[in-house]
Amino acid sequence: HVVKKFLGLISSQNIPVYLIDPLVLGLIDKDIEQIRTTSDGPSPECKYFCAPRDFTTFALLDKTWKHEVDLFRTAERMGFQWLRVLHKDPRLDGMDDLSGTEIPLHYIFKLASHAIHLVVFYERSGHYLWHGPLRLKQHMDRKFVPFRKLHFGRYPGAYEKPELLPVSLDDLKVQIPQNPSNFLEEIPHSRFLECRYREARAFFQLYPDDASLEAVEFRKRAKSLLHLAALTLNNLGVTFWLSSGTCLGWYRQCNIIPYSKDVDLGIFIRDYKADIIPAFQKAGLPLKHKFGKVEDSLELSFQGEGDIKLDIFFFYEEDDYMWNGGTQAKSGKKFKYLFPKFTLCWTEFVELKVHVPCETLQYVEANYGPGWRVPVRTWDWKSSPSNVQDNGVWPLEEWDEVIQTY
Amino acid sequence: MEEWKGSPGAKPHAKRSWHLACKYKLMNQRALRKLCQTGAVLFLLVTVIVNIKLILDTRRAAYEEEEDSTQDYDDDMLDMEVPKQPANTRKVLDVEVYSSRSKVYVAVDGTTVLEDDAREQGRGIHVIVLNQATGHVMAKRVFDTYSPHEDEAMVLFLNMVARGRILIFTIKDEGSFHLKDTAKNLLKSLGSQVAPFLSWRDMWTFVGKKGGEVYGEKHAKSPALSTWGDAVLLKTEVHLTSLEDAECHWPNTELNRRRKTFCSKVEGYGSVCSCKDPTPIEFNPEPLKNNKVFDVPVAVIAGNRPNYLYRMLRSLLSAQGVNPEMITVFIDGYYEEPMDVVELFGLAGIQHTPISIKNARVSQHYKASLTATFNLFPEAKFAVVLEEDLDISVDFFSFLSQSIYLLEEDESLYCISAWNDQGYEHTAEDPSLLYRVETMPGLGWVLRKSLYKEELEPKWPTPEKLWDWDMWMRMPEQRKGRECIIPDISRSYHFGIVGLNMNGYFHEAYFKKHKFNTVPNVQLKNVESLKKDAYEIEIHRLLGEAEVLDHSKNPCEDSFVPDTEGKVYVMFIRMEQEADFTTWTQLAKCLHIWDLDVRGNHKGLWRLFRKKNHFLVVGVPASPYSSKKPPSVTPIYMEPPAKEEGAVAAPAVPAAEQT
Repeated sequence: HVVKKFLGLISSQNIPVYLIDPLVLGLIDKDIEQIRTTSDGPSPECKYFCAPRDFTTFALLDKTWKHEVDLFRTAERMGFQWLRVLHKDPRLDGMDDLSGTEIPLHYIFKLASHAIHLVVFYERSGHYLWHGPLRLKQHMDRKFVPFRKLHFGRYPGAYEKPELLPVSLDDLKVQIPQNPSNFLEEIPHSRFLECRYREARAFFQLYPDDASLEAVEFRKRAKSLLHLAALTLNNLGVTFWLSSGTCLGWYRQCNIIPYSKDVDLGIFIRDYKADIIPAFQKAGLPLKHKFGKVEDSLELSFQGEGDIKLDIFFFYEEDDYMWNGGTQAKSGKKFKYLFPKFTLCWTEFVELKVHVPCETLQYVEANYGPGWRVPVRTWDWKSSPSNVQDNGVWPLEEWDEVIQTY
Repeated sequence: MEEWKGSPGAKPHAKRSWHLACKYKLMNQRALRKLCQTGAVLFLLVTVIVNIKLILDTRRAAYEEEEDSTQDYDDDMLDMEVPKQPANTRKVLDVEVYSSRSKVYVAVDGTTVLEDDAREQGRGIHVIVLNQATGHVMAKRVFDTYSPHEDEAMVLFLNMVARGRILIFTIKDEGSFHLKDTAKNLLKSLGSQVAPFLSWRDMWTFVGKKGGEVYGEKHAKSPALSTWGDAVLLKTEVHLTSLEDAECHWPNTELNRRRKTFCSKVEGYGSVCSCKDPTPIEFNPEPLKNNKVFDVPVAVIAGNRPNYLYRMLRSLLSAQGVNPEMITVFIDGYYEEPMDVVELFGLAGIQHTPISIKNARVSQHYKASLTATFNLFPEAKFAVVLEEDLDISVDFFSFLSQSIYLLEEDESLYCISAWNDQGYEHTAEDPSLLYRVETMPGLGWVLRKSLYKEELEPKWPTPEKLWDWDMWMRMPEQRKGRECIIPDISRSYHFGIVGLNMNGYFHEAYFKKHKFNTVPNVQLKNVESLKKDAYEIEIHRLLGEAEVLDHSKNPCEDSFVPDTEGKVYVMFIRMEQEADFTTWTQLAKCLHIWDLDVRGNHKGLWRLFRKKNHFLVVGVPASPYSSKKPPSVTPIYMEPPAKEEGAVAAPAVPAAEQT
């Protein structure tokens, strides 16, 4: 039916698409072993593509094609109606006043009551694929298809670049992600936030950037420390996000704050693994101190190159807020930093695909107060944050465990 | 899903002002009350209906509006599509043309399309080309025919304009001094009665159709050598033709659609817009076997010199192994015509709003272009950087494909460049030969991403520094002793003569006689020997084999090098320390090669060709190769000429002085 016709269209134009439809991939995933092993025997029934639904979603890598005009013409001849969503190129957003040609983000091909949603993925700095939001322009037909039911396009999204597997399904040859379940798991957590480049530019107008050799050097080191930390945690499968000053730097100026002295990451305590410390040590980052314990106020610090510290704060979840802890080594005093609940989004930062809290403004405001837009060079972690609370003192007998400095 | 609440807010405001207006009037004219009330009710009704419709629409459109309010980057809602103005149905254009000593202007239907009253510039004949069907300006040029050769450029330009176009001429200041007969005859053939007799400081305006009627001409003679003719103002009407007549009828293909769009907008590109036999805009050069640079992005850095860009892109797209998908043209400013050229060739173009002045602006444009290139092609490890005033050799990509691995494997390399600063017609010979040099020539080069991202980008000079990007890249703080690979015979040719740092004289002296490779598929010789340590071995081998020239002769004389071919000769010059280039500069001067600063050196050694022999120059004792000097040979010392009072080392830019 429609899918078959579409695939015919696509292959006539030599356009390499792959299937990303969550429903169909879900069905496929159940039989994945069988599908991988059986080569094209005629299938008895229409098992996958005939499941009832309004759409079938495919993905396309942007650099693999170009002759749009021919595609549309052929599509029309075959009876398809089509719609294209363009957008300015986010890869140029971070740049001073560059304006390129608009890039296509989504295509929809409609035939009778079924539609094909073709999502265009772009490769971006940080080795990931990005797709844009689906936003209709004024003159577009809003009833072309029930847009709300589309699986992709409500938000921009970021994905790992999948390995592809050519398979034969219901007598149709298609490409699918080699590991459909991995891809399916990515979908609900794929939301992507673009850095606020315009605000960052406005910020630098007000507070010109520090271009001194020390600042350049610090940024370079902090960037490579962040890359190393990301690599280490990703290998362990531990989810983390940019926190504190590093998060503020991303949100306010799309860059590392040159006088911030360290790199700050957050990790949910439920994701804690004992391997974390040895993994960092193996990566060449010795443990500098460990405060608290897994049950309470855990915080790790690793020593990076050139006097830069990597701070990892573990976040504890309560019914209506999240928090992380702090410990003063000499007095054993405990502190608690409160945050409103948040979820995680992807973003791109110093050529890295990383998580940040989706509700970044609330997160940053909790930490730095409403005046976060103004740079502050002297910062006391025990009193400056607007969300700090005293949290008692560690009992003396626990000090050996909860206050470890190296 | 949240609803959009923007528009209803407008309602009460509009209503209030209507009421206020009514109230004011009622004070005086009670009779109007009824009318006003009815009006108000009607207005209210209309607003309500409009708003209901809007709400319904927005509800339907809610999907589109839904966006995180703090993350609203979508300008799409703002630029609502304005319906295109219906094509100009008027058949007649009013044209006004003004010529005088200090100001020229041209107005078409009341719109000023040219105005130049700047002091000390814009001298000569201004030419404007209008589309005969739409009246749009298709080209605007000024030819300083007070100066030599500009009339030839004008003839070239006018010959390229399609028949039927409307031509407008006006003189500012002086336009006759170097207006030769060929040009005068051409103007005459266009219908000008005055052109053959144009003389010193005459004022002149002329409007005519190429190959057709004359719409008007005015002239004012200069009464005496020391004064100018009176200002003249020509007012005339031009009759437009139908769109059909103004266009060519090429077969309807994708390529021709691009061609048509281009040719209906701009003029002065010659046969690309010829109706009968248009020159191709797709070149399909032979692909390269085992092309190592197929996936390397190419950034073309351009300003507002669309004719240069046109020439440059033609040569680039004709080079074997080119991959048009990887090319991005970065235009410094919101100029339409360069973008038209880019679109003609079906390439990607990006415009860059200027943010600072002159050199610093070029620097910032470079930075933005390089950053964007690596953003757009995140997987790329290199980028090829080109400028709009370069011709690209047919084996440009073949040259890079064979050498690019050196950048990957040899950390002591800074770049690969297609340009040899010392590669003139008389000093370059071997297309398969490469050098290592301590200078950074630019003019078609390969940049390593890691170099850019880790070193250059973070400390790129800020706009207020006003530095030339290439000068900055050549500074020791950036180059850090690393070298560039260059070919003996350049793979690019610098044809630009109108640029920031360029003028005719300068170009004639330093660029025109540069050698440019035209041989396809040149197999480079022993590329492996260009690596750091291997190159030293190679140099020692060369020096070992080289014949020492007779140091008693004058090195500037032709007879200094014997009349042989294919031999290797060496000479030794005095070079007290690493930065002592006194003798070298004098030698470069008399050999007519680049002498404005030191280029092309490697550890106090220069390599070039003289009379088809490899010619090595070693600076003694600064160069480590000094040990190769036989004890009996005294290094040649050449004294710089005694400085005369007020003498200028470099040729001064000829000022466009008022005549």
